[in-house]
Amino acid sequence: MKGNDFSNSRREFLQRTGLVSAALLSISAFSTFIPSRKGALGGFMGELGSGEAQAAPVSGGIKEKLESIFGGRKVEMYHVVMKTPIIAENGAVVPINISSDLPMEPGNYVKKIYIFVDKNLDPFIASMDLTPANGRAALSLRIKMRKTSQVRTILEDSNGKLYGSIKTVKVTIGGCGG
Amino acid sequence: MPHGIGRIKIRLPRAIRKGQVIAVKTLIIHPMETGFRKDKATKRKVPAFYIDDVSVYYGGTLISRAKWTMAVSANPFMSFYVKADKEAPLRIVWKDIKGGVYEKTVQVKPR
Repeated sequence: MKGNDFSNSRREFLQRTGLVSAALLSISAFSTFIPSRKGALGGFMGELGSGEAQAAPVSGGIKEKLESIFGGRKVEMYHVVMKTPIIAENGAVVPINISSDLPMEPGNYVKKIYIFVDKNLDPFIASMDLTPANGRAALSLRIKMRKTSQVRTILEDSNGKLYGSIKTVKVTIGGCGG
Repeated sequence: MPHGIGRIKIRLPRAIRKGQVIAVKTLIIHPMETGFRKDKATKRKVPAFYIDDVSVYYGGTLISRAKWTMAVSANPFMSFYVKADKEAPLRIVWKDIKGGVYEKTVQVKPR
């Protein structure tokens, strides 16, 4: 990750001067209009692709993953707040903060928190089992993201009900090696 | 094994009232290799090496258990909450896929 030093300091500088939006525009403009830059990016993705063929466990994408875990149960999109960066400069470290106002009493508590990233090779990132002794259904974790993707969190309560939240995180440098 | 793996920091709030729901912040030094990354010098793939299991014990009972994959960042930071309703040790155990077990115990002392 040596090559990132320049762009990181550049980004920080731009942030300090309040030109984040301009920086974004220029980055997206670069990647779409300058062919050499686009070629480099394509090579990077190609390398990842070959790794995928050899090493990645076969996963049929996010839909199948969710289907296999939750079996088509309905996810309600409230009671869960997920905080993510809008843009992650470094896909290797994307902080995710999940919190919920669901009760944590014996007999009615959140028993599991799941985190998924749609476009990672394995969309399942992490899960955490909770008990009423936790007192609050919340979790912070730093995750890796291969590229710009939706991040999903799903909370399962002790009655089997599902609650979720979806956010899109833009990734400018992928985080799965390569 | 690289130096520093398994170094752990656990942070609790300074003053804890009895029954308060406290944030527990944890950090462990671990490379969390995905198995996809190539070593630039040898051009070989670095084998997968990551933590896949985290258990939290409070006063001897398992209260939380996390399942991780290689997509958790290197040197994983995690924070969660615990209801401090008794004076008891809080023990957290990390296990990686090569059989490494790392653990640390802190004392929760509600006043």
